[in-house]
Amino acid sequence: MKTYLAQRLVQMFFILLGVLTLTFLLSRVLPGSPVEMMLGHRPSVEQIEAARAELGLDKPVAVQFLVYLRDLAQGDLGTSLRTGQPVTSDLFNRFGATFELTTLALTIVIVVGIPLGVLSAVRQNTWPDHVVRTTSIAGMALPVFLIAMLMQMVFYGRLGWFPLQGRIDAEIALDFPFAQRTGFYLVDSLLAGQWEAFKSAALHLVLPVVTLAMASMAVVTRITRNTMVEVLQQDHIRTLRAYGVGSRKVYYKYALKATLIPLLTVIGLAYGYMLGGSVVVEFIFDWPGMGGYAVGGITRNDFPAVMGATLLLAVIYLSLNLVIDLLYHLVDPRLELK
Amino acid sequence: MKAIKILLLGVAISLSLTVAHARTLTYAMYGDIKDWDPAAAFSLEVVMLANVYEPLLWYNPEGADERFTPALATDWSVSDDGLSWTFTLREGVTFQDGTPFNAEAAKLSLDRTREMRQGAWYIWAGVESIEAIDTHELVITTETPQPIDLIASSQYGAYIYSPDAAEQGTDWFNEGNAAGTGPYQVRQWSQGQQVVLEAFDQYWGGWEANQYDRVILRVVTENATQVQMLMSGEADFISLVPADIVDRVDQEVGLSSYAVPSWKNSQFLINTQKYPTDNRAFRQALTHLWDYDSVVNEVYDGHASVGEGPIPKTMWGHNGDLQNPTFDLERARELLNESGIPESDWEISMAYIGTDEAYKNSALLFQAMAAQVGVDVDLLPGDWGVIWNRAKDLSTAPNLQSMTWWPTYPTPNDWLIGLFRTEDSTLFNLSHYSNPEYDRLVTEGAALEGYDREAAVQNYEEAQRILVDDAVAIFYADIQSRVARATDIGGVQENPAYNAVFFYDLYEQ
Repeated sequence: MKTYLAQRLVQMFFILLGVLTLTFLLSRVLPGSPVEMMLGHRPSVEQIEAARAELGLDKPVAVQFLVYLRDLAQGDLGTSLRTGQPVTSDLFNRFGATFELTTLALTIVIVVGIPLGVLSAVRQNTWPDHVVRTTSIAGMALPVFLIAMLMQMVFYGRLGWFPLQGRIDAEIALDFPFAQRTGFYLVDSLLAGQWEAFKSAALHLVLPVVTLAMASMAVVTRITRNTMVEVLQQDHIRTLRAYGVGSRKVYYKYALKATLIPLLTVIGLAYGYMLGGSVVVEFIFDWPGMGGYAVGGITRNDFPAVMGATLLLAVIYLSLNLVIDLLYHLVDPRLELK
Repeated sequence: MKAIKILLLGVAISLSLTVAHARTLTYAMYGDIKDWDPAAAFSLEVVMLANVYEPLLWYNPEGADERFTPALATDWSVSDDGLSWTFTLREGVTFQDGTPFNAEAAKLSLDRTREMRQGAWYIWAGVESIEAIDTHELVITTETPQPIDLIASSQYGAYIYSPDAAEQGTDWFNEGNAAGTGPYQVRQWSQGQQVVLEAFDQYWGGWEANQYDRVILRVVTENATQVQMLMSGEADFISLVPADIVDRVDQEVGLSSYAVPSWKNSQFLINTQKYPTDNRAFRQALTHLWDYDSVVNEVYDGHASVGEGPIPKTMWGHNGDLQNPTFDLERARELLNESGIPESDWEISMAYIGTDEAYKNSALLFQAMAAQVGVDVDLLPGDWGVIWNRAKDLSTAPNLQSMTWWPTYPTPNDWLIGLFRTEDSTLFNLSHYSNPEYDRLVTEGAALEGYDREAAVQNYEEAQRILVDDAVAIFYADIQSRVARATDIGGVQENPAYNAVFFYDLYEQ
């Protein structure tokens, strides 16, 4: 176990180094210079020179990369050219927003997606199965940005049930302040006893969470259904039925357990997909998370911000994969860790 | 199960209750504040700056009785030689951090801005010294005559801030802090989300009942989202108004949308040193290949007017008697033949910001028109940083380069000097134009501005004539800015000198 962990961590280190090298090179090779973006309307020659020197752009790319790695080792991701703030504090402020969004979306995917898949499998080729399969294909086929905009049009534009964008109502955040402890507005507002703030945060979460959940839910539902259908045809299920075990117990206690391994894989993938999808969702809903930060960084040639966001997303994704691999072992101890 | 139902019911009931608010105005801005330090800010910050800070003077829109509205200076005069400016400062003014405002504080602010050499500091470049000769008397001395009254009303680089704040420095500002004398103070900043301004109780101008006591500057980057927010009442004022929705929004009950003159104009600078556009007749031909009316009416949806020379028509000093080129393919053909450049060399390159639809569509139209007379146009869309760097260097410069310009403070020499005066190393004179007589006219004009405006205007008018004759650019559009807001807001005044809304002037109708 320990050697396995050590091996994986070393592996992770090299993957991250690869990710960094690639993004760094890309950001330097692509046309566009951050200096003009940084200096505003009308910089003078000396301001441009000074800014280039400050950013280290006057040095060879290899040197720039080594300097970046040296700073990174000290926990310094540089200063964002767009916000003027250290990238580490920018990311810290925004991480909570993304984490709250994706965690809730993942919860919905698991709590709703898996039972739907089971339902679809046990009622194979009946109308509930058809409905679930059709909608999940639609969920996969529709691009996230389209779902997001449809949501806005219907639930904000037509019905007016939910707010258009943002994380909390501006005035409510001001009149009912709460301290940021966990970075989750829902939790923090409750801890502070600010009911109004909680309400506003909850309403703001609905549309982006549902949008984000929809696409991933489709995949989870379909995989659950397919593996479940396979499992239900196996001998041990037939034996259980012959013993007179109730259907509910057969499905949820025995059959579902056998589908856990592929499901774990899919949930891991779904979470990765969500992190990617959250970039689009955050942009459309003006959600102050890392996705919007990365997009803003890319469009404004804000290299340090893009590097920082990419690195953090890669770390999250890799750690998640590691956790899932460890969970495999937990779920089915017959699987050895290699 | 029952417990859950009761809980849900409770949630539903409390979600339907609403809270009462202060008199609030919500303004959607399309990017967050980056440089909080008034000495460095040179971008979207003006919306915040112009409400939180005050300069010595505000510039009035053209047509007003007075050129300036006194802000922190109540009286000012210039010596006969034009080198020494005396400002009498307003008494009884306090900064938002409680520090009293006086001549010493004003000197400290302006000196710090000059010394930091960031943002728009260069407007003060000709200043020799700034002295506080009395508690409320400030004297600004210049090396050569300068229009210090105009400079002091600049929308960037001329704000007065608290000496205590200055001492804490840029890092303190960039935490979202501010300390000016303006009517609003910064109450809260959620990075990337919003800035909340609140009425400053001790503002020297005083407060009336129906003014807004809270202004929320919301960061909304998508223009479609801004429009949605305005339609639903979530925003009262938006800053990104697509040209094609102006009429639609204006028809909505409770909303109005319209275009107002700005001092922004767009042109394609023609490289005067690169073959074949180093030939004057050839350049003149190009200016006749531009379909001015179609660009203004179709590309800008009518929210622009045809440019007449380098200075927008609404700026003082504009020469109204120029012989401006018109769209005329026949004339272009004549000039091309006159130029003596062989037809096989009628090939030019045209660079513009690729993400800008207006540039793109204008360039495509130009390319099509040029093709009709046998001129081949190679389009080079790109990122501003890239095309700018290429245009600066003659070996990589295109024949035509897109340029949109506006002044830092209200003076025509911002265009004349910034874009066309000879430069030692090229920065914005991307026409690579160099004409000693022209240089003399504009340099002299800038000095005259401070004490003999009419003489300055004469110089500028002559300079504009030279530029049009030499066909150094295709001057094609004076841009209008577009406003969309709720109709129940009273007191809205447009002032092209500031890309901002003055919230203090507004009231709820």
